[in-house]
Amino acid sequence: MSQAHRHRTPADQPDTSTITVDAYGERLMSTSPPASTRYVASHVSKAFNGAPVLHDVSAVLEPGEVHSLVGENGAGKSTLFKIMSGLYRPDAGELALGGERLADLTPRGALQKGVYLVPQEPTLMAHLSAAENLYVGALPHRRMPFIVDWSRIHREAATYFERVGLDIDVETPARQLSIAQQQLLECARALVHNCRVIMFDEPTSPLTSHETEILFDLMRVLRGEGLALGFISHRLDEVFEVSDHLTVLRDGRMVASAGRDEITRDQLVTAMIGRPIGVRTRVRRTSDVTDRREVLKVEGLSSRPTFEDVSFVLTKHEVAGLAGLVGSGRTEIAETIFGLRKADHGEVWLDGEPLEHRTPRRCIDAGLVYLPEDRGRNGIFSDVDLARNVTAGIVPRLPLRWHLISTAREEAVARDSAARTSVRAASLGASISTLSGGNQQRAMFSRWLLAEPRVAIFDEPTRGVDIGAKDDIYDIISDLATSGLACLIISSDLEELALTCDRVLVIYEGRIVGEVRDEDVTTARLGELVVGGGRG
Amino acid sequence: MSTTLSVEKTEPGGAILRDVLRKAIRLRELQLVVAIAVVVAASAVAHPNFISPGNISFMLADSVVTAVLATGQTIVVLAKGIDLSVAPILGIAAVVVGFPAQNHNLPIVAALGLVVLVGLVLGVGNGLFVSVTRIPPIIATLATLSVYGGLQFIIANGQEVVNIPNAYDALGNNDVVSGIPWVLVIGVGIAVVVALFLRHTNVGRAIYAVGNNAGAAHRSGIPVQRVIFATYVVSGVLAGIAGLLYLCHTGSADSTTGTDSNVNLTSIAATLIGGTTLTGGRGGVVGSVIGAVFLSVALTAMVFARIPAIWEPAGVGLLILLAMVTDRHSSNLTARARRHRQGST
Amino acid sequence: MTAAAAAPGAELRPAVKSEARGDSRRRDRNWVLALVALLAAEVVYFSGTVPGFFGGGTGLLALTEQFLDVGAIALGLAVVILTGEIDLSAGTMSSFAGIVMAVLWRDGLEIWVAVVVALLLSAAVGALNGLIITVFKVDSLLVTLAMQFILGSVATALGGASPPYGFPKSFVSIAGTGTIGPVPNQLIVFAVLALVISLLVGRTRVGRSLTLIGFNRPAARYSGIRVNRTIVGAFVVSGLMAGIGGILVSGLYNAARDDIGNSLLLPGITIAVLGGVDIFGGKGRISGVIVATFVLGFLTEGLLVAGDSSLSATMVTGILLLVCLAFKIGLDHRRGVDDRALVSRRFRRLQSIGDPS
Repeated sequence: MSQAHRHRTPADQPDTSTITVDAYGERLMSTSPPASTRYVASHVSKAFNGAPVLHDVSAVLEPGEVHSLVGENGAGKSTLFKIMSGLYRPDAGELALGGERLADLTPRGALQKGVYLVPQEPTLMAHLSAAENLYVGALPHRRMPFIVDWSRIHREAATYFERVGLDIDVETPARQLSIAQQQLLECARALVHNCRVIMFDEPTSPLTSHETEILFDLMRVLRGEGLALGFISHRLDEVFEVSDHLTVLRDGRMVASAGRDEITRDQLVTAMIGRPIGVRTRVRRTSDVTDRREVLKVEGLSSRPTFEDVSFVLTKHEVAGLAGLVGSGRTEIAETIFGLRKADHGEVWLDGEPLEHRTPRRCIDAGLVYLPEDRGRNGIFSDVDLARNVTAGIVPRLPLRWHLISTAREEAVARDSAARTSVRAASLGASISTLSGGNQQRAMFSRWLLAEPRVAIFDEPTRGVDIGAKDDIYDIISDLATSGLACLIISSDLEELALTCDRVLVIYEGRIVGEVRDEDVTTARLGELVVGGGRG
Repeated sequence: MSTTLSVEKTEPGGAILRDVLRKAIRLRELQLVVAIAVVVAASAVAHPNFISPGNISFMLADSVVTAVLATGQTIVVLAKGIDLSVAPILGIAAVVVGFPAQNHNLPIVAALGLVVLVGLVLGVGNGLFVSVTRIPPIIATLATLSVYGGLQFIIANGQEVVNIPNAYDALGNNDVVSGIPWVLVIGVGIAVVVALFLRHTNVGRAIYAVGNNAGAAHRSGIPVQRVIFATYVVSGVLAGIAGLLYLCHTGSADSTTGTDSNVNLTSIAATLIGGTTLTGGRGGVVGSVIGAVFLSVALTAMVFARIPAIWEPAGVGLLILLAMVTDRHSSNLTARARRHRQGST
Repeated sequence: MTAAAAAPGAELRPAVKSEARGDSRRRDRNWVLALVALLAAEVVYFSGTVPGFFGGGTGLLALTEQFLDVGAIALGLAVVILTGEIDLSAGTMSSFAGIVMAVLWRDGLEIWVAVVVALLLSAAVGALNGLIITVFKVDSLLVTLAMQFILGSVATALGGASPPYGFPKSFVSIAGTGTIGPVPNQLIVFAVLALVISLLVGRTRVGRSLTLIGFNRPAARYSGIRVNRTIVGAFVVSGLMAGIGGILVSGLYNAARDDIGNSLLLPGITIAVLGGVDIFGGKGRISGVIVATFVLGFLTEGLLVAGDSSLSATMVTGILLLVCLAFKIGLDHRRGVDDRALVSRRFRRLQSIGDPS
């Protein structure tokens, strides 16, 4: 084992044809990938709990091509890739790799056939070394079966890392790798398994522009080697930079499919959102409101290294936005204001009163609420009925009778609040998990309306919400602002910010780098600022 | 591919040395060795007898049963489980072998086969409940703790093993060479085999993978439930062997053997003190064995300090709390360091 | 807002009779009803087959004295399990409370003052459990396992070679074997405790916090529920109830028992789980736990009266726990709850406790 410590200068490319592997891996790798690797998904449909997510979608990943899926949140892009990699089973339609039909595909079966999905969030084993993560589940063994050949793992891992441009010690524990490095390691896993089809599900969202370039270089090299690549990104610039072919999904249907040079940016956007760009009316109210009292003041808020020196003010009736890439620190800022995280420095004032020793409870009682980004994990209590979900934010204020919670009055309160946001449900007693995403989000809004807030921070308010419900949520926010609430919207969807906000603050790598107001709030301007450009 | 991402910049020699030192200080095994040395030194100052060859040999031999149990417990904990039923498995193995040995002079090889079989069967029981019916490990093994305990009671039938054949006694208490008892050799042998198994076989690595991230392990084609099942079987077998060692070492067995000496607690304590975390996927057998030795030394030191034996469980309990609290701190530190590094690149 | 309110949003029918799929309240109710049926069947069976079990009704009532101490412990355990934690120290906590009370009484304290002091100490140790768990963010399993052994040692050391016995009559009557007519006093004590705990869990703000934490801890935190404080509170309740269980044990035997406590833990957990409390937290009702107390109690006593040894009764408890859990998890599985998601709920919690990555 001693010779296997540092292999930073690998000798040559791994000779993948000679790889022999252990009992698990044997079956994984014995089938060599088919000669032609055209991967066809035809007429695929999929529904979750009765809600259709994909409807009759077809896509072809050609060898030597990067094929991008574009579309808004919830358009079904990830679902299609997950079906193609065996994570989900399609309700209808079929998959065929190099002419061979793939029925009942599992992740394991996909890997055997040479199909790999680089997941949106890397799933590595935190306490295992980078090299072991590369081979996990199929560790090569020595002549004796079951005995792991560590020296070979370390030697060959180094060459794979070299190939994807990952310069790390092969024995570095995975938990010490940055997100970008983890992403590259996931790519290397696809190479280890000798995959001919690799799909990337939004690989660039946590990456800096430099790291993105490294990933794109790798994708171009793999394309040059004749692999079929799939790609999902929210950034249209990237899509045009790296793809050969584009397929547009909207609400689970395929609305366009064309070569990169056959479609313009405007056409693409029109196809994505279903109407020509700019026609969608601004939900934002005109600034005819006179009462512009300052409600929330944040001053010098820091939590190194996530964000630093964040200062801003929200006034009554205002809808402000916070724009920034994933990982720019925008959610962390909101969670720090709401008392979920500790700040190193800085203060928060509400209506001129300092909010000290902030906890969520104190903030809610003072009139500040926060709608979390990850609804399923941090928002809803999925096994709990709608009524108790709505009143979860005001547990210390639940109506009492003889010192006990009055169920009847609690339900009345919940019903009123749910009606204010037009939650549609079979009954107040139905588990919230039986509701659609849009109705779950409405229920979350009604939870916070009950707390009678003066300031509300909405983190990705329309994530996982169908198109129709989106506009309703914009209306709710707009009405709330009209009634005096100061709102801060955090969103990756720049168009959403442009539509709803009077003013947008832009965060880049943990600092506020710009502020645009009124007519300057455009998708293009925000797009420049969020990637750190366009200063001055 | 000219652009690359690197974790570590090239460092001057001094920095590397510092890095190695820092890593070593954080190593649980080393911390434990230092702790053992401190306890031994302190006790030796007060009672010179503490470092007599006889006492050292006694302490080591005494830790073997715990070490073998902790080895099995470590495997289970690495895969994010826990086995609270090792005590009655040890007890059943001891009485199942003890009576035929006492009454019919059962050959020791047959005894070994018998305890392995007992451990296997009872371990399979645990494994089935955890991996097939998916009952949470704490509850499943807490329930089998009482079921197996009842079984032991029925098997012992109110009788006690008091006389064991010479061959057993020799195995339990004689030295291979002067100062090194047989049980110690066996214990070390088992620990080495298991440590190699965990480090160098694909099944061993699969245990770590499952403990780290069961979902990702499944995605990588590892049969997660089968691996979990196997950990309980191995733990059962090792508890069975520990039962034989216990019988040989103490020469006695009855209906409450194992349960009355709190071996559940000591095996978990040795595992945790040795640096294996309940969150799974981190730690190893070497630490657990050193942890067992540490426990034995600390408990013997308590005896030397004239602390009544009834406080032994409390001492072990305190050590568990201490091990958890200190581990929490060290992992906090590494997390902070990581965030800082990511922020600065 | 007026626009939104006028929108077709009045689709909410009253929740009284909900046929909605996945209504967890209704499922819990069905479980309790099934337990009641099981209890009735069991009582009828033992009354018919085991002579001396029914005893004209009074015999049946008198038998309850044998297991209501476990019932008290189970009520406290249920509160902790509802939050998704576990308290393995509840058994020895009973010994501890009984011994503390007895020793204080022997040393000259008025018996009821001694009881109060013992209960306060149990609550304090429970608070210590909760504080260690929340402040250091370590798993409750290990903290309470360690505490189990620490309390065991303390109880044995305090009790000495022969723990005190022969308490005043008033104490033995109320906490032990006294009756009002045919009704044992212990049954009345238990009824009061059961009422208090079931109102606490079902109808108070603290109880609501407890269950919401059990259902989804992060969401509870984001909703402003004081998670740590509530969990410490749950352990205080568990400590207190275990203490009361210990006092009842002392009353029953008219002696402090340092040896009996830990054997009460497993039946306690079994009762909570059998009563329908989800071992992962959130789901469950106290009424189920109350019924389960009698289900398990009469089963154990029936076997004992029929002549089985106490250890085989313990074995039956263990088997019942396993069967009951396997059945429940199987039910959830059939209902379409992904069992891997179910198991990973506990895993995720462990993960979040350990490494943030």
